[in-house]
Amino acid sequence: MKVVAMMKCEEFELLGLDMDRADAQPEEAAAAAEHAASCPRCIALLESWRELKQDLRVLQEVTRLESAPARIEMRLRQELRTRREARVPRRTVRLVSWALPAAAALAAAIGWIHWHNQVSTQVNTAPPQIAAVTQSHPDLSAESVLLAADYDTGDFTQLPGSMPTASSEEAILQARVQRGALMQFGLPVAPEQAADWVDVDFLVGEDGQPLAVRLHQDSQSEAVTQ
Amino acid sequence: MMKILDEKEPALLKRAVRGDEQAFLTLYQKHQGPLYRYALRMTGSPWAAEEVVQEVFLLLIREPQKFQPDRGELGAFLFGVTRNRVMKHLERLPREDSLDEINDNGTAWREPQDPLTPIMIAEKSERIEQVREAVFELPAEFREAVVLCELEEMSYEEAARTCGCPVGTIRSRLHRGRALLLAKLELLRDAPRRASAGAR
Repeated sequence: MKVVAMMKCEEFELLGLDMDRADAQPEEAAAAAEHAASCPRCIALLESWRELKQDLRVLQEVTRLESAPARIEMRLRQELRTRREARVPRRTVRLVSWALPAAAALAAAIGWIHWHNQVSTQVNTAPPQIAAVTQSHPDLSAESVLLAADYDTGDFTQLPGSMPTASSEEAILQARVQRGALMQFGLPVAPEQAADWVDVDFLVGEDGQPLAVRLHQDSQSEAVTQ
Repeated sequence: MMKILDEKEPALLKRAVRGDEQAFLTLYQKHQGPLYRYALRMTGSPWAAEEVVQEVFLLLIREPQKFQPDRGELGAFLFGVTRNRVMKHLERLPREDSLDEINDNGTAWREPQDPLTPIMIAEKSERIEQVREAVFELPAEFREAVVLCELEEMSYEEAARTCGCPVGTIRSRLHRGRALLLAKLELLRDAPRRASAGAR
């Protein structure tokens, strides 16, 4: 059998009012109940407390449904939105900081491809250019055109005896030859330069015959410096 | 919606901080009521309680890193922040001002709907008003113990955790709070009796 120690009035004042609480110590509650049963002063105190506790319950009930006004929720939503909107430009700036260099690189690549295609097209359409030169001077002979349009200018120069053509079947043949060898194609060569080595592009027609010739720029300068 | 309610609070908070309004509202709706009531019961001022709750949730939005899930639940964190704000508020204002505010803002306390006669309702209302005033007149630390342990129905352990003090301290404060409340209310109850006796 469990022995419950008798509680004194001072102890009851300190601990006895907890006897109704859910988290009260069972031993304490039993001792308090026993003391209250035999002490008119403490039972009166307990009754007063229970009455006050009842009032507190009513107060609790009255305020149970109290909640923050809706305007707080609105302000907080606004704060969230403001922060979200403030975050978007930062994200955009970060995106742009990546996108701009990427776009520039892409533009440069497209530009280079375009330029490269143009160069190829110029090569392919060289005979018509020569033809244009020829047509602009219809009264001149092929040889005089050749002399007028020096093959050292960097453009293809029509070889004497060949006909300008708009065909797209021509090919370019690169070769390193002595300048004097060009005389075989009917091109004028200065005797003092005949021994110079030059890089030459030959425009070869469908039949394999050279139609035009072009000297490389660096070969020309090299030749000049020599 | 069901899914969002089931979601863990730290995950909801993460989403809320990223700007997910629905996630934030789920957290807000869950916690604002108890926090607001605590602030209201402690300050006695709906305006102060409103300000406190707003500050608490703004802190959650602006500095979410202050909540560390490994150190406790979000509710406990928010309650702790609310408590600090309330205490700062009480320190700033003289208690008399706070009580004046209570009287001016009586509308914050709603009368429950029950089938009582007008006289009974008036008596009950007066009684509730007396209890409310008696609670507000308690020194802040005793008031807090009464609010947490009697109105919020926290256990001693929970209240001690919330206040960051030992259980014994909470019990002691509650004991003093009860004694002061009883004395005050006994005095109020006896006053009409003494007045009517004096009139005879």
